[in-house]
Amino acid sequence: MASLWARIGASSRTPFTRQFGTYLLGLATWVPVVVWFNTNVAEITLINGPSMYPFLNSHYNESTRRDLVLNWKLYAQESLARGMIVTFRTPHDPNKISVKRVIGLEGDIVHTRRPYPNGYIRVPPGHIWVEGDAADERLSIDSNTYGPISARLVTGRITHILSPWNKAGRVRWWEHVDRVGIVRG
Amino acid sequence: MAPFSSLLRPFLRRAQTAQQPSLLGHPFRLLLRTVKYFCFAHLFWEYGYSIGPAEGPSMLPTFEVSNEWILISKLYRHGRGVQVGDLVNYKIPIEPHAEGIKRVVGLPGDYVLIDSPDSGSDAMIQVPPGHCWLVGDNLPASRDSRAFGPVPLALVRGKVLAKTWPFYEFQWMRNPLKEYSSVSDS
Repeated sequence: MASLWARIGASSRTPFTRQFGTYLLGLATWVPVVVWFNTNVAEITLINGPSMYPFLNSHYNESTRRDLVLNWKLYAQESLARGMIVTFRTPHDPNKISVKRVIGLEGDIVHTRRPYPNGYIRVPPGHIWVEGDAADERLSIDSNTYGPISARLVTGRITHILSPWNKAGRVRWWEHVDRVGIVRG
Repeated sequence: MAPFSSLLRPFLRRAQTAQQPSLLGHPFRLLLRTVKYFCFAHLFWEYGYSIGPAEGPSMLPTFEVSNEWILISKLYRHGRGVQVGDLVNYKIPIEPHAEGIKRVVGLPGDYVLIDSPDSGSDAMIQVPPGHCWLVGDNLPASRDSRAFGPVPLALVRGKVLAKTWPFYEFQWMRNPLKEYSSVSDS
């Protein structure tokens, strides 16, 4: 035991291990900064699944390539507007993060799509109505399945598409026209 | 003077042969280090433990209306490991910034009363997956799941561990249902 300890001690005195150790330690001090930045300012994310077809993952049924986007998290819950693409923790599973488009804000009357039991609903205070872009409602699990979601669940907004190159650039959410069947509140 | 200088010698020598330049001489390095410490403190506050004041009449026999501080464990973030009877700190789903503290009355799959027990209505609801049913201890003065429905577990920020202030009233928060359930489990 003692000899083992002495050996470890000796090895830690060799310049390479010590240098490498201090280097790793110095790198580790940056971990909190990176985590803070990624949870509070911005993060680069891959989009999974076809629910935002054709806007995101336009080739979901032709290739396994996924879209790379910039998820802006600073003040993401403030002044949400219809047409924005937001990420949020799903109400049915707190560990899952989903990406959808904001369709209705609080007070709006939304005519719902297929799986929802009621024909229309008024979005309650502090809540938003989110839907996937996919025309085929089976491709998207959204507010039509779990109802209006609290705006507090929103974690970020998709502001830029980074890849593929041909559609890279700002997400021009303000050009998105309201879905048919929204009565603004 | 001589004995004192011999005592100080190791420090003086270290200062002379120091490999790292002093912090104050490098404002940029000081700034970077401050940022790192702030980020670490933020992560500890957000994912570890936090202390803060609790206000309001909704939890009255358990917490006073004001002047009380509580210790919250963020290891129970997103309702991880939370059990019925625990006190949780959560983001109020219908308000943009406010937070609250309530008691967990139901977890996914549980059947709970929609209204207060003395309301005359015995309508019940099954808590949907990923949600919890939160009710204050002071039923008449609490706005909780009876008003805004089941709360997504993703809005749970942590579990209340203890009342820390005033110090002479320090008290660990015990789950009142635990002692009974442990008897029935064994």
